[in-house]
Amino acid sequence: MKEIVTVQVGGFANFVGSHFWNFQDELLGLAEDPYADSVFKKQQLDMDVLYRTGETQQGILTYTPRLISLGLQGSLGSMSSHGTLYNHEPATALDVTTWTAGVSTHTAERHKKNLFLQSLYEEQDRSATVDKSGPQREYQDKDIVENLEKGVKFWTDFSKVHYHPQSLYELSGLWMDAWEFDNYGIGRDALSNGLQGEEISERLRFFVEECDRVQGFQFMVDDSGGFSAVASELMENIADEYTNTPVLLYALRAPESYVNLGKRKQTILRSLHDAVSFSRLSSYCNLIVPVGLPSLSTSRASSFFCINDEKLYHCSAVYAAALHSVSLPFRMGSLAPTADLHYVSGGVDVSEVVQILLGQSRRNKVAILDMAMPAPSLTGKEAGERLLGHLHPVTPEIAEDVEDLQAVETMTVHGVLGPGGHEASASEVKDTIHAAYEHATMRPKFCHLSMAHSPLPIPLPFPSIFKNVVGQRGELLENPTAGPPLKGSLDVHSIPMAVRLRSSSAILPYLENRLGYLRRYGVDRGAPGAELVRSWGFGKDELEDFGEDLSKMVIELKPHREVSSDSD
Amino acid sequence: MSLRVLNPNAEVLNKSAALHMNINAAKGLQDVLKTNLGPKGTIKMLVGGAGDIKLTKDGNTLLKEMQIQNPTAIMIARTAVAQDDISGDGTTSTVLFIGELMKQSERYIDEGMHPRVLVDGFEIAKRATLQFLEKFKTPVVMGKEPDKEILKMVARTTLRTKLYEALADQLTDIVVDAVLCIRNSEEAIDLFMVEIMHMRHKFDVDTRLVEGLVLDHGSRHPDMKRRAENCYILTCNVSLEYEKSEINAGFFYSNAEQREAMVAAERRQVDERVQKIIELKNKVCSGNDNNFVVINQKGIDPPSLDLLARAGIIALRRAKRRNMERLVLACGGEAVNSVDDITPDCLGWAGLVYEHVLGEEKYTFVENVKNPYSCTILIKGPNDHTIAQIKDAVRDGLRAVKNTIEDEAVVLGAGAFEVAARQFLMNEVKKTVQGRAQLGVEAFANALLVVPKTLAENSGLDTQDVIISLTGEHDRGNIVGLNQHTGEPIDPQMEGIFDNYSVKRQIVNSGPVIASQLLLVDEVIRAGRNMRKPS
Ligand SMILES: Nc1ncnc2c1ncn2[C@@H]1O[C@H](COP(=O)(O)OP(=O)(O)OP(=O)(O)O)[C@@H](O)[C@H]1O
Ligand SMILES: [Mg+2]
Repeated sequence: MKEIVTVQVGGFANFVGSHFWNFQDELLGLAEDPYADSVFKKQQLDMDVLYRTGETQQGILTYTPRLISLGLQGSLGSMSSHGTLYNHEPATALDVTTWTAGVSTHTAERHKKNLFLQSLYEEQDRSATVDKSGPQREYQDKDIVENLEKGVKFWTDFSKVHYHPQSLYELSGLWMDAWEFDNYGIGRDALSNGLQGEEISERLRFFVEECDRVQGFQFMVDDSGGFSAVASELMENIADEYTNTPVLLYALRAPESYVNLGKRKQTILRSLHDAVSFSRLSSYCNLIVPVGLPSLSTSRASSFFCINDEKLYHCSAVYAAALHSVSLPFRMGSLAPTADLHYVSGGVDVSEVVQILLGQSRRNKVAILDMAMPAPSLTGKEAGERLLGHLHPVTPEIAEDVEDLQAVETMTVHGVLGPGGHEASASEVKDTIHAAYEHATMRPKFCHLSMAHSPLPIPLPFPSIFKNVVGQRGELLENPTAGPPLKGSLDVHSIPMAVRLRSSSAILPYLENRLGYLRRYGVDRGAPGAELVRSWGFGKDELEDFGEDLSKMVIELKPHREVSSDSD
Repeated sequence: MSLRVLNPNAEVLNKSAALHMNINAAKGLQDVLKTNLGPKGTIKMLVGGAGDIKLTKDGNTLLKEMQIQNPTAIMIARTAVAQDDISGDGTTSTVLFIGELMKQSERYIDEGMHPRVLVDGFEIAKRATLQFLEKFKTPVVMGKEPDKEILKMVARTTLRTKLYEALADQLTDIVVDAVLCIRNSEEAIDLFMVEIMHMRHKFDVDTRLVEGLVLDHGSRHPDMKRRAENCYILTCNVSLEYEKSEINAGFFYSNAEQREAMVAAERRQVDERVQKIIELKNKVCSGNDNNFVVINQKGIDPPSLDLLARAGIIALRRAKRRNMERLVLACGGEAVNSVDDITPDCLGWAGLVYEHVLGEEKYTFVENVKNPYSCTILIKGPNDHTIAQIKDAVRDGLRAVKNTIEDEAVVLGAGAFEVAARQFLMNEVKKTVQGRAQLGVEAFANALLVVPKTLAENSGLDTQDVIISLTGEHDRGNIVGLNQHTGEPIDPQMEGIFDNYSVKRQIVNSGPVIASQLLLVDEVIRAGRNMRKPS
């Protein structure tokens, strides 16, 4: 199994996706860069899993993400929805070849390219001319980084990736600002008007048709507003059309989506949205991973960062790093058998990960994501314990320290340093972690481990969020020098990572909250939100079905399978 | 493009301010769309913040591209877009009509009249106008063979409001032939059976009707033929790729041999399916040089492609779901979901199948079919915005033809209906109405004139003169419309200017509904407020 088709739906999802593809782009660049660290040259990762090869009408070869990204109209900022590769010259009124009576031109204010984007275009122009020296640009990388810290508005502001003209789609005709497009009900009709739903399915088909052995779909969905309904509709269609292809879904949330306005009406709306959104999304995918803490900045997952929760640019970078790591094993499988196991091991495909996490004796399709960024070096005693101790959840509303004998997990560790500062080999990592689990009081019933040599590369437009204990290769410094208080891509070049997907009863609070919301506000007699969900187009029966499904999920995970009664 | 009108909190507005806000919003939207109307309207080129271009002369497309913020304007826009979804045309007229109803009402309201009275008048006028439309429409008899001339006239009228004349006229024949091709007098016309396909081609601007199907993908094997004559077509929805069997517990922990065995078994099943297809091919193609083409909705993986290629079969995977239906209608045979019992009867036929490559884009033409009930309109254009605009126009044309066949009627255009209805309301209906609701009828009647007025304005003519001469002719019993070039009255029947009956009906129906809601804004809000009082 090989290709993965990625689908990003909604504002925050596109922010995460933008960083995600920046990492991929950086890996591709480093693999060809003669000056790059050798660890990036022998990655043994099959990038064709995520990318497609294409050709323009002029015969120029292209290599672009196999991606569909959906956003609101106007969310692409200064980037053209056609991308830049396939040569779309700007048109003028003279190009109107279909109409001979009057033409009136209405030009929206042009989005100015920020320093980073300017530098990308200049670089491209320079490499196109023979004279490589070219005019020196009058700003430095430092200025670019600062400029990004101050003013990222669109996800395209920090994207260095070339996208295919079929990839970026803006929903039009909603007549709504992002903050109004904030609940499941409002998104439900978004695709039903006109031919937009059809157009998106067609684009999806374009990417799937060229796949020889499609491995799965990877959905990144902004689960906090109307886009979750858009995503459900798309996934329903996929379940129909590509029946046996697994769908892995990340339900993403920015901290800002947790802001509570305090009004009761608002609380009811949010709670019902959460319940309905999760019910729908989880029913159409094979594995769902909720990602996004109410306060990432104060969470243990960001022990080594200084994050501004209000900045989508910051939070999305951290989550994107985790998603990158989770996706590594999917790219190890289709390599030639001669691939060097020293560099990668433990490749699995999407459906295998789904199977592992779904479990055997019980079925649970909701996984918890833990991450260690950076993962500590494997030196000294109890190195494995330390690594496990650094893994912290970025899935919200979960229980801590639950003993779950049925827990299963998949873990990916990559780029970690061993004794002496060299990259630890696959077997070293494996032995260390197995040893740590041997001695642990709580350990999963099963853990699948994947390893890769190459760490997470930090591209220029990555935000400056590292505390100064983080070294250039992501090692934790014992005596951090008095450098800048915060470090970014200019000081930190790569980061060793560990991530874990966990199927555990620790997810119970998350599920029970949603079940509770649904019953309290939507289903019970006199529920204050009953009218609201009806206006979203859900009948009572449907809601009861959602409740049924949710309580099944809960019961599966309850220790000893004690049957929960319907009363709260 | 953004239309920003103040967005005040309606709750704190007094009645008259809220009302005027609605009126202004309606007028604002009317102003934006006004210049679009008719064959002399202007086309709009919208340049987005990143330099992306959209080109449109269609009210519907324009509204969708606009970032409308004002809730009243959004309400009107929704109505207009719904108009397009239902009948495929008349969005611009709808917006203009609503705007004009509000504008006409403003005068009376400023004179102290209660909106309720106007609304009552609207209701009377609406019903009278709909009845009038029944008498006014021109019936068209749709026998086995519909009158092609009248279909062409309706299509041409619509297309000429979106494309310059010569191009419109070329497309007229295409859309009429396309609809007649898929028409089956027993069933409702399903326009989806006309595929609209486009190719971006720098130097080639052309649109043509392909009797048969054009698919936007090709075979995925280097050894398969790129061109074949006399082809059997197998249309199927059968997985020809190795898939991991349904998630089965325990699979992951089972040992390597077991796993291999399972993989092998799965593979064997796929191979068997491919073999069934090859057997059928051998059966029908032995002893002749006919070819065999498989078009599959599901995937076909490389090993299966290899087998098929070796057997001389051309195979396409991941065909659109809709193409399953279209293929069968175009080529005959049936779409099969399993290859277990396939027989030669399942196969369709095409005289010619060939591939066309443009960069990474591939197209497969399935042509020379017998007796097709599905066809493709192929649009070539130099850039995306031109293609999109032609596509929109083609859709409009197709809808116009379909509406005519289903309505079994058309309506004289160029403002003729609006002027006639207005005179009817003023001369016949108004006097039968008691009290001040008369003024509502009058406002409605005058609002209808927005269509001929705007047509005149967009042609650079004096609207007053035009209206006087048109109403005069009507009073003399001559049903006339507006000559866009001279401003003189013309007979739309002679000129072949016809609009769709269902479109007109829908405009007359929905315009006053929204206008009334907007006029009664005050009551709506107060009702809401009362409901929220603690009981
Ligand atoms: N040759 C013509 N001379 C005068 N009037 C014409 C002619 N052709 C069409 N019209 C009129 O133009 C109007 C239709 O214009 P147009 O198609 O631009 O707007 P619409 O149908 O209201 O909205 P849209 O097509 O944007 O959804 C009709 O009233 C029609 O009678
Ligand atoms: Mg029209």
